[in-house]
Formats: sequence, C-alpha cells, structure tokens
Amino acid sequence: MIKIAIYGKGGIGKSTCTANLAAAFAKMGKRVIQIGCDPKADSTINLLGGKPVTPVMNYLRENDDEPESIDEISKIGYGGILCIETGGPTPGLGCAGRGIITTFSLLEELKLFEKFKPDVVLYDVLGDVVCGGFAAPIREGYASQVLIVTSGEKMALYAADNINRAVKNFEDRSYARVRGIIMNRRAVENEEEKVRAFAESAGLEIVADIPRSADIIRYEDMGMTVVEGDPECETAGRFTALARKLIREESKENSDE
Amino acid sequence: MKNVSKIIPCYAADTSGVCSALYEFGGMIAVHDASGCNSTYSTHDEPRWYDMKSKIYISALTEMDAVLGNDRKLIDDICSAAQKLSPEFIALCGSPMPMMTGVDFDALAEEIRRRTGIKTIPLHTNGMHSYLTGAGEAFLSLAKCFAGECSQTNGQGVNILGATPLDFALNGSVESIKKWLADEGFTVVSCFGMGSDLTEISQAATAAVNLVISYSGFPAAEYMKDKFGIPYVCGVPVGRTFSERLARSLRTAAGGGKCVYPCAERSDSPSELCIIGESVFAGSLAAALSADFGISAQVICPLDTEGFLLAENDLRLASEEDIENALAQISPKAVISDPLYKYIFPRGTELYALPHYAFSGRCFAKSIPNLINRNLKELL
Repeated sequence: MIKIAIYGKGGIGKSTCTANLAAAFAKMGKRVIQIGCDPKADSTINLLGGKPVTPVMNYLRENDDEPESIDEISKIGYGGILCIETGGPTPGLGCAGRGIITTFSLLEELKLFEKFKPDVVLYDVLGDVVCGGFAAPIREGYASQVLIVTSGEKMALYAADNINRAVKNFEDRSYARVRGIIMNRRAVENEEEKVRAFAESAGLEIVADIPRSADIIRYEDMGMTVVEGDPECETAGRFTALARKLIREESKENSDE
Repeated sequence: MKNVSKIIPCYAADTSGVCSALYEFGGMIAVHDASGCNSTYSTHDEPRWYDMKSKIYISALTEMDAVLGNDRKLIDDICSAAQKLSPEFIALCGSPMPMMTGVDFDALAEEIRRRTGIKTIPLHTNGMHSYLTGAGEAFLSLAKCFAGECSQTNGQGVNILGATPLDFALNGSVESIKKWLADEGFTVVSCFGMGSDLTEISQAATAAVNLVISYSGFPAAEYMKDKFGIPYVCGVPVGRTFSERLARSLRTAAGGGKCVYPCAERSDSPSELCIIGESVFAGSLAAALSADFGISAQVICPLDTEGFLLAENDLRLASEEDIENALAQISPKAVISDPLYKYIFPRGTELYALPHYAFSGRCFAKSIPNLINRNLKELL
C-alpha cells in the first residue's frame, strides 16, 4: 500500500496537488483514499464536484456520538476515491491537532483500511508539523512517505525546511521519511534554481515539477481536478508521471522484500 | 452530557486497571501523568499497597512538559529509573493530558526498549475508559510478551484470566477459585494477575483451558485461543450448582471442546431481581441464583463487555441516566449491586449489597463477601 502524507506552507497548493495525485492514481485503476487533515475541510472538494463531504468533527459535534460506519463520514468521488475530511473544532476553541488524532482513532475503530482495502492512501495535512496532532499522519501505521509541496517563494521554502527538520527529528521512531519535493511553480523569479538549491542542501529529490497553469484554476472553479478535467494537458501529465513513479517504487520495494 | 454521573460515582479508570493487572509481576509501571495522581492508581484503587510492594511511578507531567512536548524528559527519566531498578519489564501508559497532546506511546516504548534492552509495553490508556479496558490490554500484553510456545501440555492445566482486586477485592475470592479448581482436579498453571509471577505466565501455553473470571481476561483469552489453540470458559464459580456446571464446562473445553460462556446461559423468564455489575461476575451470580434457588435475575452491565457474555434479557447501559430509567421501568423488587447504586433505585426497591471495589473503592471493602463455591444464602 502506498501511504503518503503531503505537507507544505499554508496556501501553497497542497490540496490541489493531493487531489490531482489521488485522481491520477485512481485513473490508473488504483483504489484510493484521500484524508484531508485540515480544519478548513476543503481537501477533497475538487474530487467531489464541489459538493463537500461532512467532516468527521462536524459529525461528532452534530450527533454527539461517533459514527457507526465509514459511509456516514465519507463520500465517493472521482474515480471511486474515498474522500474523508477531519474538519476541526468550533473556530477559536478546542484543539485541531487532537481532532486529527481522534479522527484517526475513529477510522481505525471503523476498520477503514481492512474494509476499503486501498492501494493508495493520501493524507493532506495542514501546513507545518506544528504539534502531536499534525504529526499523527506520519506515525507508524499511517503514512510511510512525506511529500513536501513548495514553490520558490522564500516563506514556502522556509516552511519546507521546517517540515523536513521536524520529520528528521523522528528518525529514532518508525515514522515516515521525506520522499521528496513537489515543486509547485508560482512564477517566482529564478524559481527552479531556488527550489533546486534547497532540495540539494536538504538532500531531497524534486519528484514532480508542476507548472503554473490556468487549467488548474479553471477546473477547480468547476469542482474538479485538472486530471479529471483535461487528462491530456501538461499539468495532468506531471501528476500522472508522479503517480506512476510512486507505483513503480512501491512495486520495486515489494519485489525486493 | 449524557454520560455525566450526577449521583453515582464512575468506575475506576483504565490506568487503574493497568496498574492493578500488572501489580504483582515485577515490572516497572510508568504512568505519564501529573504528580499526585499516583495515589489514585496505586492506593485508592489498590488495596495491596498496604503490604505488597510494586514499582508504580508517575512521570510528574507538568503544564510546560505538555505544552512543549517534552517526550525526551519522559524517556530519559524512565531509562534512568529502569537502570537502577532492573525491572522485569517496563509498562508505559497514559492519562488524559497525554491523550490530548497525542503522545505516541508505541514510539516511546520502542525507543525505551532499544535504550534499556528491557521489554517495554505501551498501553493505550487515557483515563476515559473503564478499568476493564486497561486491565484487559495489560493482560493481553502479558500474554503476548511472556507466554511463549510450550512443547508440553498439561491436560488438567487451567489459567485464570482477569483476577484483580478491582473485581475480586482481597477477601480470599481468588484463592477460593484456585482451591475450587484444585478440588475439581485441575492444576492452576497461572493466574493473570493475582498470586502468580512471570515464570508461571511463561508456562501459560501448557494449559488445556482458560477460565475467564472477568471481562478484563477476555482479550488475553481470545489471543491464547488464536495463538495456542487454548479454549476458554467464561464464568465465576459462585454458588454450589453453578460451580459444578462451570467445572463440567471446563472439563469439556479442556478435552478439546469449544469456548463457552456459562455466565450467559440463563433462562429469560420474568424477573423481579436485577444485578448490576461486571458482566462475567454478574452473569455467573444470576446463573447461580437460578440454579440454587430458582430465582431469575436480569443483569444490567454498565461496563465494557461483549454481547455473547450477556443473556438475552440483560441490558448494557453505560450512563447513570439510562440505568436509572431502566430500573424505573423494570421496577424490580430488589437489586443486587454496589451500595452506592441505591441512590438511583426507584422508591421501595430493596438493596442486596454486593460492594464492588472498582466502583466504591475502600468504602465497603471490609464487607465484600467471598461467594466462591459457597451457598449464596449469606448474600440474600
């Protein structure tokens, strides 16, 4: 099973990259789960035609009880992707990080993986590894690889460095390792050089180079990913290539074992 | 707010269950919790502390430790204490605050094991579940870590699973169960977790059958059934006739039979008597009353259990409100329960007091009767 957590600075395009990657996997016939780990709960909206799923935290708040089945807190989106959102507490109150842990425990109790039998699980995580809750997706049993989304903007690279260091802090534990960087271009001057310089200093590979494209925005306005909207375009091709690369690596790992 | 108890207390929590289950096995139990809470786990909920030592420690978690995520301090403290104490194993468990901050006990335990070379068991307590959940996970971990494959088997061998003072007090009940087994021709291989040591636990797989005397023994029983093919029988030998039936069930199971649940094998005839308590014990008591006196009783189980450990008419009700409403609806003539339940009885309902240490602690500890293989008239 491919299990990836996607981190990056707020607003850098994590959800866009995650949803497009999910769509690319699904298009190749993989069974995919995407779990949005952000109180905004908008990670999967473009896999669902713009109609959001009820976030787990909302369900718990409204029902004052836990759901009895996965169906109550998930929706099937494009390509059969199972979409789940942790959501968050009442704004300004509670603890969003704890919300992620609660959601994960709940999904475990509901035997999500045993029942859905996914080939790929993608965790789209809010911003930085700010606390225990936001590190939950990289714990043993959840994601085994981390992809960091960054542009060439200074603060995005700063966040990417923080995330990389945070994950390295857990080297003593059987947590996920950083697999590489998704360069999500934002038309910054010398963008490629800046991202490559960071990747080199951090010892990381740039696993995908996503061009700045109006297609992404156009299809998101229509509630879909670019992979769904125009699978033949260059941007969709980059996500497909990344998905193919990750599948190939997993197959190799399995055959080595 | 449905689960708020306004009148009755709540049962001992999962952390107390862990400490109770592991008390006698020579391990070092480290609870990640604020200083001062140790007395809850190892004195208020633990009658053995007066005359038996155990290595139970609190991490003395501070507000800043929680805010700053000082896992390193916890790991260093445990490793340093373990070097001085050389415990048989280390058990690491949590409380509400680490639950809120999402401490990863699996990862911490693995790091401590690597540093100390001592088996380290992560237990996922958070103070929000009952003692049965904590004790159940602790017994399961004991079985997984210390009960290895054994080439020889003892055809008369029995493991007792689920013995803690939280359910059986220190009134001689567990000793009586052991004596009853011996009188019935069985050999006690081990007792999870009173009156045994890790050497006995390591021989657990030689037993022909497991006797589950509380729901806390159930996860370990399931594990040993799957891992070693040892069947289990759920019941406590209370009263005379039911004890005889339980012994027969044990013999059948030991002879290659299936798992059976005598505590749940009861008629569903109308009843004017309710029993409130832990499912295996309360069900066994109901079966014993029926067998000895023809009295049928309905069990209300406010704790963790499985549906097949209850009879058809029994009720699983967790909240005070639900128990109070159910009693009002049933309107029983009498209830056998811990005395602290009487405050939610309907007017006129008689109480037959059966104090439960996990519920009322030391309040009535001296009057908890030993009902093992005895005539139940002293209760009624």
